[in-house]
This record gives sequence, C-alpha cells and structure tokens, in this order.
Amino acid sequence: MNGLAYLWVRWIWSPYMRATARWPSTRSVVPFLPLIAVWWGVAQAELFPRTFFPGPAEVVSSFFTLVYKGILPEYLADSVTRLAVGAAAGIAIGIPLGLLVGLNRRAHDALWPVLLFFQAIGDIAWLPILLIWFGFGLTTMTLIIVYTVLFPIVLNTVLGVRAIPLDMHRAAKSLGASPLAIIREVVLPGALPNIVTGLRNGLGYGWRALIAAEIIVGTSGIGFLMFDARRAGSVVEIMLGMIVLGVLWFIVDAWVLAPIERATGQRWGMVQRQ
Amino acid sequence: MKSLVLNKLSKTYFDPYAGSEVTAVREVSLTVKPGEFVAVVGPSGCGKTTILNMIAGFLPASSGEVLVDGRTVHGPGPDRGVVFQSFALFPWKTVLENVAFGPKMRGIAKGEREKIAREFLDLAGLSAAAARYPNELSGGMQQRVGVVRALANHPDVLLMDEPFASVDAQTRMSLQEELLRIWQERRTTVVFITHDVAEAVFLANRVIVLSRGTVLTEIEVPLAHPRRWDALIDDDRFKSLSALVLQKVRSA
Repeated sequence: MNGLAYLWVRWIWSPYMRATARWPSTRSVVPFLPLIAVWWGVAQAELFPRTFFPGPAEVVSSFFTLVYKGILPEYLADSVTRLAVGAAAGIAIGIPLGLLVGLNRRAHDALWPVLLFFQAIGDIAWLPILLIWFGFGLTTMTLIIVYTVLFPIVLNTVLGVRAIPLDMHRAAKSLGASPLAIIREVVLPGALPNIVTGLRNGLGYGWRALIAAEIIVGTSGIGFLMFDARRAGSVVEIMLGMIVLGVLWFIVDAWVLAPIERATGQRWGMVQRQ
Repeated sequence: MKSLVLNKLSKTYFDPYAGSEVTAVREVSLTVKPGEFVAVVGPSGCGKTTILNMIAGFLPASSGEVLVDGRTVHGPGPDRGVVFQSFALFPWKTVLENVAFGPKMRGIAKGEREKIAREFLDLAGLSAAAARYPNELSGGMQQRVGVVRALANHPDVLLMDEPFASVDAQTRMSLQEELLRIWQERRTTVVFITHDVAEAVFLANRVIVLSRGTVLTEIEVPLAHPRRWDALIDDDRFKSLSALVLQKVRSA
C-alpha cells in the first residue's frame, strides 16, 4: 500500500471508524468539521475585521466565560422552558383538534378554511396586537409559541388521519371496535408518523418564533442574549447564540424526535428506514 | 354456524358523471345455509363487492335486507368477519396483537385473548411469526394472518373479498387449500367473492354467478372434501364444472 494511503487509514480512517462504532452520534459531527475549518481560515486571514468576524477560538472562549458567569445556562433554561410550555399547550390542543377535523366531515368543512386562513397570517404578525392586549411579558411569548406550534401539528394530524386506508377502519369495525376504540387503536397509531412530522415542523417553527419574540419582547433567553449583544457590539456573543440555537435544535431532533420516529413509523414499516 | 339470508337486496346510487341513477345491485335474494361455503363470481363491475359491502354493513342498502340467523343487520359488527384483498392488518400491532384484536374489543383479558390468538396462529402454522410486525411478513403470510384474525373472533359469517387476488399464483393455491383445511376444522358460513372461476369451483359448495347486479345462476359443486389441487386439476367433474361456470360468466 502506498505511504499516503497507509497514513490516511492508520491515523484518520481507523480511529474514526472505531470512534463512530462506539459512539454513533459522533458521525453527525463530521460534516461540520470542514465548515469549522473554513470559518477558522476566513477569520484567520482577516478578510473582514476581526471584531466583525471572529473565529471559532473566540466563540469557544466566550462560551466558557458566559457559562462561568451563569448567564448562558440561565438564558438557555428560560428559552427552553418557554418552548416546552408552549409546545405542550400546542400539542394538547393541536392533536385533538386535528383528530376532530380529520375524522368528522362537518368539523372539517367548518374549520379547515379557518385554519388555513390563520396559518397564513403567521406567528410574528400577531405580535403587535398581542403586545397591546397582554404587554411585554410571558403571556405574549407563550401565546406566540402556542400559535406557531399549533398549525403544523393540526394540519399534519389531519393529513395523517385521512391517510389511513378505509379498509383499516372497516377491519376494525368488523372486529367489533367501538368508535372510541377505533380512535385509540387505529386512528392515533395510524396518524402517528404524520403527527411526529407535525411535531418536528411545529417545534422548529416554534423555536424560531421564540427567538424572534425574545428579541422584541425579551428580558431573558437566547434571543435576548443575541440582541443585547448587538447593542454592545459583541459579534462573538451573537455568533455564540446562533450556534447554541443550531446545536440545541440538532439535539432535540436527533435525540428526541428521530428516536420516536424510529420506534414507531420505521418499525411499523410506514416510513422508509434510512 | 349461522345462516345468512339476503332479501331482495338492492343498491342504487347517483352517478355524478353519468348524471343519473345507477343500479349496482338489483333485488338480489340468496340463502346461505349454516356452515355452507358460497362463492360469488362475475365479471368486473357486476356488483359482487357491493353486495359483500352491504352484507358486511359498510354500505347501507338502498332497499332489501340482510339477515344473519334471522336477525336484520344494521352496520358492521363482529358477527360478520371480513377478510380484505388489501389484508388491512394493523401495521402498528404485532401478528399476535392483530389476531387478538377481536377478542380485545369484546373485553377479554390479555392472558386469555393471547391464548386464543396463539391457538388460531397454530391452526394456520403461523406460531413463529407471532411477535413480528406485518411489514416483516410476505404477502401470503399476511393474508393468512388476515384470515385467522377474522376467524379468531368467532364470526357467524365470514366474508372474503377477493382475498387472494394480491398474492402470487403458487401461494394462492396453497392458501386456498389451507383455507379449506381451516374451514373444515372451524366450520363457519362463508361468502367468498372472486373473479377466478377455478378458485370458486375449488373452494365452494355452491357457486353463484352474478351479472349486472342480479343473480344469473347458481351451480352446486358436489366435489368431496378434502380437496387438493394436484388431484382436482385433472378431475373430469372439476373441469366440467369450471367450464360450465366460465361459460355462464362469459355469457353475462
């Protein structure tokens, strides 16, 4: 084997394979390495002034400083809590509403156009009126998140319900299932893959809406951190905030939502295995 | 074993494309004796699936009635089990859970219903697949689960809507033999819809030929049980009966 290939396998490929075999999640880190390398290179070359375009080193150092001061963990907890509360409310309203609209013809005719209409209005467009009604506070922010999370969940739930083959309903009925039993045993599991998609989308939008709301309304949270940093001219903190957002979403998706999807849709053969 | 009576069953609906009323089923009357295996054949569009859906209660009849054991039926129910062409197994339940579904709906406790389910899976030779999910099984195995799932609920009547149409020819033949074997052990009244004439003659005691929504003719099939394909395929009576049915279907 020629020398270069040998070096590649010995020092890079084999360790990588061993590491990813023991800790599979490290595989998802690899695509980011070139990105970070480019970032480091551009910052180092000072194509832009250092204060406008800091490199990875500064951001990491800022991370440790903010953690040490306790600011980052607190703001992070605030943001995540708001999202969790809003998401929980959105799910608690969204899934039953989606089931109703998906199953009942009259509910569908009455509510579907209304849902589409309000979905189009969008989340942040509600901010001005909510600020007048509820002021700069937690209520406004929670309402924004609930609103944002709600629509993808409802719409995807409806889709999921309607995607269940008629034969499956008929099979359940011919086996003696009551309407309630059908919802529990057929409709909910059948719609679940779509509901998970709705959750993914809803939480994604909710997360983004949260940050925007925090920028405008905020007294704490990651969004507020970034916006406040702008006033201080601290680009490093802004970049840190952005990276934290990305990493957090990545974690939620990879460690919470994707496993749910694997345990349900993929195992049941309703979603293609990767 | 219960009897099934169709009393002047009709189905008409409004066809938006034709802009007029269409009669899918026209005053069909039929008596199926307890424990009898009846096959319904006919050309495409003759109304056989519509009739089955009305017996099952999935479609309301426009007029006439369906009586199981002398009682009129209204809507679907566990007294009429159905086996679907699309299998319609619940993908989120294991094979065992699928078969135990009917008993579960009747409120039978978990231990008891799993025992019932295993019994029926044994009957069909599917014990090894009990813990698997439907998407892990072949088409033939899935349909066997479908048949067993319907039977595990002890229906008065078993309705089968072209159940083997989605399965390859060889598997189909073994499924037909197996269906007869199970039917011999757990005698139940069966209505079997198919467009395959040979399948109808192989399986049934009596073949009903349908044409354009009405019964054209009924043909008795006095062949002895157990029936095997390798024996019957050359049997003169089987061949002449199949030819007769085919001729009636084609003339429809």
